[in-house]
Amino acid sequence: MRALLAAVLLLGAVACGADAGTADGAWKPRGDVRMIVPFAAGGGSDLAGRALAAALEKAQPGLTVTVENRDGGSGAVGYSGLLGKKGNGNYLIATENAILSLPLSGQVSFTREDFTPVAKLAEDGGILVVKQDSPYKSCTDVVNAAKSARVTVGMSGAYGVDNVIFTMIEQKTGVTFQRVPFESGGELVPAVLGGQIQVALLNPGEVVGQLRSGDLRGLCVTTDERYTYPEFSSLATAKEQGIDVSYVQFRGILAAGGLDERERAYWEAAAKGVARTAEFQKWLKDNYLRQAELYGDDFRTYLGQVDTALAPVLKKPS
Amino acid sequence: MLDNLIMGFGAALTPVNLLWCFVGVLAGTVIGLLPGLGSTTGVAVLLPLTLSFEPLTALIMLAGIYYGAQYGGTITSVLISTPGEAASVVTAIDGYQMARRGRAGAALSIAAIGSFVAAIVSLVLLMAMAPPFARLALGFGPPENLAVMVLGLTTIVSFSSAGARLRGLAMAVLGILLATVGVDAATGLPRYTFGDVDLLSGLPFVQVMIGLFAVGEVLFQIRQGAAEPIRARFKDLMITRAELSRSKGAIARGSVIGYLLGCLPGAGSTLASFLAYGVEKRVSRHKDEFGHGAIEGVAAPESANNAAANANFVPTLALGIPGGATTAVLLGAFMMYGIQPGPLLFDEQPELVWGLLASFFIGNVLLLVLNLPLAPMFAQLLRIPYGYMYPLILVTSFVGAYSIDNNMFSVWVVFVFGLVGYFMKKFDLPMAPLVLGLVVGALFEKALVQTSAMGGGDLTIILTRPVALAVFLLAALLLAGPSLLRLVSRNVRHEEKEGV
Repeated sequence: MRALLAAVLLLGAVACGADAGTADGAWKPRGDVRMIVPFAAGGGSDLAGRALAAALEKAQPGLTVTVENRDGGSGAVGYSGLLGKKGNGNYLIATENAILSLPLSGQVSFTREDFTPVAKLAEDGGILVVKQDSPYKSCTDVVNAAKSARVTVGMSGAYGVDNVIFTMIEQKTGVTFQRVPFESGGELVPAVLGGQIQVALLNPGEVVGQLRSGDLRGLCVTTDERYTYPEFSSLATAKEQGIDVSYVQFRGILAAGGLDERERAYWEAAAKGVARTAEFQKWLKDNYLRQAELYGDDFRTYLGQVDTALAPVLKKPS
Repeated sequence: MLDNLIMGFGAALTPVNLLWCFVGVLAGTVIGLLPGLGSTTGVAVLLPLTLSFEPLTALIMLAGIYYGAQYGGTITSVLISTPGEAASVVTAIDGYQMARRGRAGAALSIAAIGSFVAAIVSLVLLMAMAPPFARLALGFGPPENLAVMVLGLTTIVSFSSAGARLRGLAMAVLGILLATVGVDAATGLPRYTFGDVDLLSGLPFVQVMIGLFAVGEVLFQIRQGAAEPIRARFKDLMITRAELSRSKGAIARGSVIGYLLGCLPGAGSTLASFLAYGVEKRVSRHKDEFGHGAIEGVAAPESANNAAANANFVPTLALGIPGGATTAVLLGAFMMYGIQPGPLLFDEQPELVWGLLASFFIGNVLLLVLNLPLAPMFAQLLRIPYGYMYPLILVTSFVGAYSIDNNMFSVWVVFVFGLVGYFMKKFDLPMAPLVLGLVVGALFEKALVQTSAMGGGDLTIILTRPVALAVFLLAALLLAGPSLLRLVSRNVRHEEKEGV
């Protein structure tokens, strides 16, 4: 029975191509809304997409939001899929920093301008971690060690947040890290636990179990201020340790490009309802996220600012 | 441990948990059956439905989907050469040949029995020493993975029949070349994508294999003209005593290979099934039958993929690290129920962990009870004239491919590789080495790049890793061993002659 349901849900994805309705006055999506997750099931983006979809349904009774994983190309496949839905108000994407880093890589045909910013809802920070028997006690130790010896760091992908932060540290301090490429943050935890790499940068939710058990040690956080969650409040920021770097991953919602005023207004209002749902708050707490809301044009401005900051970091040395 | 086990069974044997365990394994079997719809997607889709459950009940059901899918994936592999799960690709080689000879019932039975035995073996190992095993597996880094991939590549020889070594090798190389399509892990630059966004993540393996095996087979059969439906008497559908005893060794070896590879974070049941098949062909006394319906060729990979699925829980439960894609989704589920996965899980949530493990026993018994009587029934499906089966297989293949990621690109991949599969069959080129090359090629390159990065561009780092060295040595032995043996035995004979 449940299996049947799963099959129907998936086959439903084939059949559904519902268009946005255009009733008088306020716009409302007609039929199912699709929330694209540009990464595979199980990762941070997937959790975000599913939580935000559930919260949207709760905030807008009668709305059905179906999550669809379209992973590949570090997120490029999912965003390209949404690119083809221009003007269709029934399509959303669970967005994060890849929307900025992918266009900067020069390998994709879209930019942030091709989509409609709906809301930024949360921020996910990074923790530099080492194995418990590592000699490094702080991020300063890591930087100092890298001045004279080879320090291996994990990289969850060429456009990942960890690569951005390690590059920022390199540019500020003049050191060079030896990057070992992996395919996801999930692969980094065993690599640093097994001593295959010396340092990794991970989201709090990814390492809280290993930090509590003492298998991993946190060195510093890359957020602007310390965490308020008790599990991480003792960790100093990189800035406190004299490394002037801060960068977070934002989590939010984009809609397809080319929407009219009423469609944009609907989604902004819906997103504002999201932050008040229990589903949303539970997702924040479970994943140690920081609530950070920006809607519509404010979100657009934020994206522009981060883009400007990111450009010199991701520019390939010629 | 006995106390824990009793506590676990106590927790798992409540009527509610039993019911959802049954629902889970049944759902898993169906999800495994449908090509394209794998256990990862299945668990992710059904996860929200369990949010109102008790955590243990929910996890029992979700885990049931996972290992149930390992049973279900076999059925279509054997009957219509369309693997329902990536880990069942190898089973299609000999399983489908068995079906063509009227032994589909036996193939499905041995798959169920092998899966069951493997599950029990791996569960006992899992319960007895998950934490120490998980620690050991952590030492297994890129250099060791590189060695295992080389070992995997040496089994290519096993996937081509004796007279067709060169063809097998050529197809393996083609597979490795196809694996280079996509974003290069080291630099993030695209290779051979021709500006196409969908190709950035490489050729999707499951879609390629649906095209090659299912669509290719249908096209080939159509050209052959109306094939006779397989009319097996009910008696012939049962597995024989001889077949059972032939499979014993294969099941044992498959279980061990599957367990070992499953413990490693990242290495999956697909690779385990390929390796088990390769090893089995090496050691079997019926080498010539492989590729033409050897029952060991079904027993070994099916045992291996189920053992690996269970062993995937070793890093997941003991360290809070996903063993594979499906366990990654399950880890997400843990958090949704407010349970923090990690090294402390065994101590902090004993009832949950042991209840879950006990439910694996129950679930696998249910699956065996479910699958054994169903095997002959499913085999009866082959009585349907092929004229009716072709459109059904084609529709399932294309819809299945689309449902993987709701992307037309997948459908085109299936279409193109269907044509490729047809011509490969026509020119008698073996497909399994191509698939192996595609799977192992990508993993091989990744391990190579990582190993090189760890050593700062210097591969001699391998020399400092004893485990990696040992596996490399094993690979070299496997490759050169048979020739060396022949050389030695010829010399011995030579000397004997001279002595006379």
